[in-house]
Amino acid sequence: MKLRLSLLAVVGIALWFLPYGLGPYAIHVVDIAIIFALLAVGLGLAMGVAGQINLAQVAFFGVSAYAVAILTARAGFGFWTAAVLAMVATLATGMVVGIPALRMQSHYLGIVTLGLALAFTNWVTNAELSGGAEGLGGIPVPPMFGIDLFSEYLYYYLELIVFAIALGFGMFVVRTRIGRRMRAMRDDALAAGAVGVEIPRLRMLAFAIASVYGGLAGVLYAGLIRYVAPETFSLANMFLLLAMVIIGGRQSLLGCVVGAVGLTLVREALVEFATYAQLAFGAVVVLMVVFAPTGLAGIPARVRRRFSRGQSALARAQLQPFAPSDVGDSRPESLAEPPPDLVASDLVASDLVASDLVASDLVASDLVAQRTSVARTGAEQAEAAARMILEVAKVTMRFRGLTALDGVSLAVREGEIRGIVGPNGSGKTTLFNIVSGLYRATAGKVAFDGEVVSRKRPYELSLLGVARTFQNLRLFATMTVRENVLVALDRSRTAWAWRYPLWPVGVWRGDAWLRAEADRLLAAYGLSEFADVLPSALPYGIQRRVEIARAMAGRPRLLLLDEPAAGLNADEVEQLATIVRAIRASGVTVVVIEHNMGLVMSLCEQITVLASGRVIAEGTPAQVVADTAVIEAYLGDARMLEAMT
Amino acid sequence: MQLFFQTVVGGLSLGAIYALVALGFSLVYRTMGLVNFAHAGVVMVGAHVATTFYLFAKLPFAIAMAVAIGVTAAIGLVIERVLRPLENKDFDLMLIGTIGFGTVLEALAILRWGATGTAVPSPVRTAPLDLFGVRVRTYDLVVLGVAALATVLLVWFLHSTKRGAAMQAVAMDHEAATAVGIHVGRSNAIAFAIGAGLAALAGGLVGPLLYVSPAMGGSLGIKGFAGAIMGGFGSIPGAILGGLAIGVLDSFAAGHFQGYSELVTFLVFTVIIMVRPTGVFGERTVSRA
Amino acid sequence: MSLVARQSLLARRVLLVVVAATAVVLTAACAPPGADNSNSGQNNAGPIKIALVDAQSGQLSSLGAWELKGAKLVVDEWNAKGGINGRKIQMDVFDDQGDPTVGTNLARKIAAEGYIAMLGTAESAVTIAMADILKDAKIPNITSGQSTGLVAKKSPFLFLNGPTSTTYDETLAKYIVETKGLKNIAMVTNNGSFGKGEHDAFLKALTARNVTPLADQVVTTDQKDFSAALTTIRGKNPQVIFLGAEEVQSGLIVKQARDLGITATFAGAAPQGTPVFFDTAGKANVENTIVSSPYLSNDINDASRKFAAAYLAAFKEEAELHGAKAYDGAQILFTALKTSNAATGQALADAIRATKYKGLLGDFAYDETGVGIFATQIGVIKDGKLIAAS
Repeated sequence: MKLRLSLLAVVGIALWFLPYGLGPYAIHVVDIAIIFALLAVGLGLAMGVAGQINLAQVAFFGVSAYAVAILTARAGFGFWTAAVLAMVATLATGMVVGIPALRMQSHYLGIVTLGLALAFTNWVTNAELSGGAEGLGGIPVPPMFGIDLFSEYLYYYLELIVFAIALGFGMFVVRTRIGRRMRAMRDDALAAGAVGVEIPRLRMLAFAIASVYGGLAGVLYAGLIRYVAPETFSLANMFLLLAMVIIGGRQSLLGCVVGAVGLTLVREALVEFATYAQLAFGAVVVLMVVFAPTGLAGIPARVRRRFSRGQSALARAQLQPFAPSDVGDSRPESLAEPPPDLVASDLVASDLVASDLVASDLVASDLVAQRTSVARTGAEQAEAAARMILEVAKVTMRFRGLTALDGVSLAVREGEIRGIVGPNGSGKTTLFNIVSGLYRATAGKVAFDGEVVSRKRPYELSLLGVARTFQNLRLFATMTVRENVLVALDRSRTAWAWRYPLWPVGVWRGDAWLRAEADRLLAAYGLSEFADVLPSALPYGIQRRVEIARAMAGRPRLLLLDEPAAGLNADEVEQLATIVRAIRASGVTVVVIEHNMGLVMSLCEQITVLASGRVIAEGTPAQVVADTAVIEAYLGDARMLEAMT
Repeated sequence: MQLFFQTVVGGLSLGAIYALVALGFSLVYRTMGLVNFAHAGVVMVGAHVATTFYLFAKLPFAIAMAVAIGVTAAIGLVIERVLRPLENKDFDLMLIGTIGFGTVLEALAILRWGATGTAVPSPVRTAPLDLFGVRVRTYDLVVLGVAALATVLLVWFLHSTKRGAAMQAVAMDHEAATAVGIHVGRSNAIAFAIGAGLAALAGGLVGPLLYVSPAMGGSLGIKGFAGAIMGGFGSIPGAILGGLAIGVLDSFAAGHFQGYSELVTFLVFTVIIMVRPTGVFGERTVSRA
Repeated sequence: MSLVARQSLLARRVLLVVVAATAVVLTAACAPPGADNSNSGQNNAGPIKIALVDAQSGQLSSLGAWELKGAKLVVDEWNAKGGINGRKIQMDVFDDQGDPTVGTNLARKIAAEGYIAMLGTAESAVTIAMADILKDAKIPNITSGQSTGLVAKKSPFLFLNGPTSTTYDETLAKYIVETKGLKNIAMVTNNGSFGKGEHDAFLKALTARNVTPLADQVVTTDQKDFSAALTTIRGKNPQVIFLGAEEVQSGLIVKQARDLGITATFAGAAPQGTPVFFDTAGKANVENTIVSSPYLSNDINDASRKFAAAYLAAFKEEAELHGAKAYDGAQILFTALKTSNAATGQALADAIRATKYKGLLGDFAYDETGVGIFATQIGVIKDGKLIAAS
């Protein structure tokens, strides 16, 4: 930490005194580089961190710059007033561009953002207001308490300060909950939704953030060049920006900065050979994408990994025993500090004063204790036993001619461990996908705790208390085990993010609390020594446990486990059974899809058998196993049955 | 009324070009799940090669086109081979890789052929037809005919040949395809090559209609892409329909909104896509699970 | 360490950081960088540095290429005769990519690196963008642009090497309406700075003669398909169609118009006199096109023939209007440099204004607006060649 701070200080001082060593044109180039760095950071946040293809970044840049130009040169506003209005306009544009993101993704989003960027250029080239193809000049020099910002040297300081704050904010976002959610969404949007990330709103937020950075860059640009013309905001510059982010490393904000500054300087150096430079950029992008997808910023990590094989802490890490008493025990009163993030939707921002936050959070946490019932007394449990927590009523699922589920009905009592078995292709995972909101059933209804949830999205179901694991393990690949758990622990809604610009201290404190919680949870599942490891480096069995821990982090009431024992040895299966029983003991209903009949028989109280999309039997393990239809369809003949029981 | 039909006719011939471009996009997307942003660059290179052989080597137009198709197919193979490590692993990175390739192609074209460009005289010298006051250039009919023929051949290839079936199989489940002995890399390479060949066809045909320059790929590529998406990305009839629709939409927008035509076209496109995100015929591609 | 001791240590550390940071910040405030970085790089010996700024890439690059060739001819000519008062002329080429903001960057670069004058650009939009910066740096600029926006800039450092759009189109309108008596006129222009300037100037000239155009179609600068605009025009059945677009685009418009069966005569200004226009449109299609240009052909007089021969020898291609304009502009600049003994800044600007030059385009005599020539001639394209109208 000390090393980092002193390094930061050295860099800061070097940057502060940089202009003294540069000639007048060189400082101009540096000023331009900083503006592009700002744009690149914004693009990196949307594309690299949140995984949203954003080809409209250059349009945000343009909207802001043109807004300043029009408001000052045509409408006579002062520079800073125009700047504020321009930022508002750019943010509005960002939200508008984000609207398609709610409905579509990746390449569709790419073409729509591209189209909107082209539409902007087209409008600006034609409109009288924006000066048409000639552009607009006559933007005044920004006034700054007597400092003459006409000097590009002094303008550098303005840019440096703005950039430092913007970059700092960006890094703050990445390292805290919104950034984690965005990374989760990028790594696996499906799994992210299943742990409660509100995907559509987060996408919109990503665009909004990118547009703010574009807006800042536009304002600085207008103040520096004091002339705007359509060509600056063209597709060619969009691709240049893309190249900067890719070459620098889109997932790292510092990488984006390096890419932007580096490419600007290289482009300036090669200005005589513009076409060769273009050729080189294109070629470098292709090479980067194939050989170094994490860009320049990712090279130190790759070098480190190459040279530290066999010496990592990972080799020495051990899976600790599972500690059942701690599982699911996140009663608010047992914590050192109250969680400020639960049920944020109950907190109306305008009613709160900062100092009230801590106090009112306690109220919120009490509400939480009521809603997400965790451990209960025996009497409560008996009462709950009669209640059906999951009801599937005549659900049918058709995929273009293939009927995966045909009129499936089942009901799961609260507190039960239900098993779902059947041959491959019988529709088990499809059923889970429907219950967890990934698919929408062609017909039929699903009710969770009495509430019809058939049309709800995965994150809505997660927030209601449904959690799941996946057949093919869907851990967030670029996030550590701890971060995987942190994403699920965070139960706040996206709107909670208003605290970022207005009350970052709250964000920081909330993160500290989340980390403490995560460490507790990891310790309970015996995963403490793996906390800082990436999932891909872990053995399969441990990855499975991480996925269960992550699912439980969301304090669900219903846990769906999809083939949790697949690929586990006998010992690990035994541990799995222990974990599932402990989970149930803490008040969570568990539904398990499994092929390991031994596990199913010993673990589940009731078993539902699916075959060819229909329920062919339901009952206790003994009943089901003796059912002839089941034997025919799935278990094999009676001799196998004897071998098993 | 005459204005209406003339606008439609004008839109259809360019629309046929967009349809060919869209076909190339959709084919590659359908079989590889890849959005190929280098496609526009390939169209442009195809146009330049065809023009060079047609105007300077004085080959007959059809032969020049065939040469162009061969050259671009080779380029397609190169692109696929370079990006092969990313196939079925990271679609977004592949997309960015194709953008890089597109930039490279444009730069190479400028270095080889200069930035200004050439006009190409129409290879069909007969006078335009006059149907009830609507002028139809003979060349327009040639373009429509060739596009139709190309589509028919492509559909036949996909449905009635072994290689075509193999390509469909790879699209559905590339692991299973490998398991039954289909060389996935080679199948993808063929898909890419065919896509590139379609690009050259589009580029070569469009030369006499418009203008051949290194910047021509941009507009054609975007409109072709939009057409493919509107029709349903990955769907062959969708690509045709979408391309033609964009051509006609563009023509009407230019007629009514003049300078603002691109703005209008893209706003309409955005609205259509938001209403029906997977396009008219729905999206068809590799499974990404 | 006790809590109190720890807290006071922390407080001391924070104070140290704050003091250090303030010191650093104040240094910049008291002795700001760049304060003594005035116009370095200028000396009175060594080569005379001239900057040529044009689009060397992109669609308008042919204009840039022509300007470069015309200017280069003059530079070589003068350097062969010993330069200006013994000093060689050094002309460096800069690519503005047709982008006004790249132009502004280049203007700053030129000012910082000691260039004393600039030739170019051929696009009015870029020139207008650069004008303020060059005015501040007191660097005279002779441009090939023709937009009235240039004149509106009122910069004492900006000069045109040809007539303005107003002159071109006034002459053209006068010929079409008054001499030829044609009043059914349609217009096709693009929305770029040149096209818009042409549109406004021609419309003004028509209105002054009480003529309203039958159609006024505007296309975008990179549009390549004009069937919509041309179909509308065809429906109005004009006798003349005015073209307000650059060489390549107007050539495409003509080509597509003829394909659509439009038989009207085309008319236009500078771009319509270039071989690029003829080639793009197709020789047969441009027959009888009316062109307003101050430089109709290379065959007007001895001077033009000499120029064309030198151009052909040096660059292996036919000279045309833009090369001739650049030639005239460079000649004027170097003449002014010679008479003022390599002056810079305001002195050079004054010298340029005072220069009376008999150029390929005509007699130059600059007024306070920076325009030096006020007449064009009318030519007609016959058999792929531009000849004077009778």
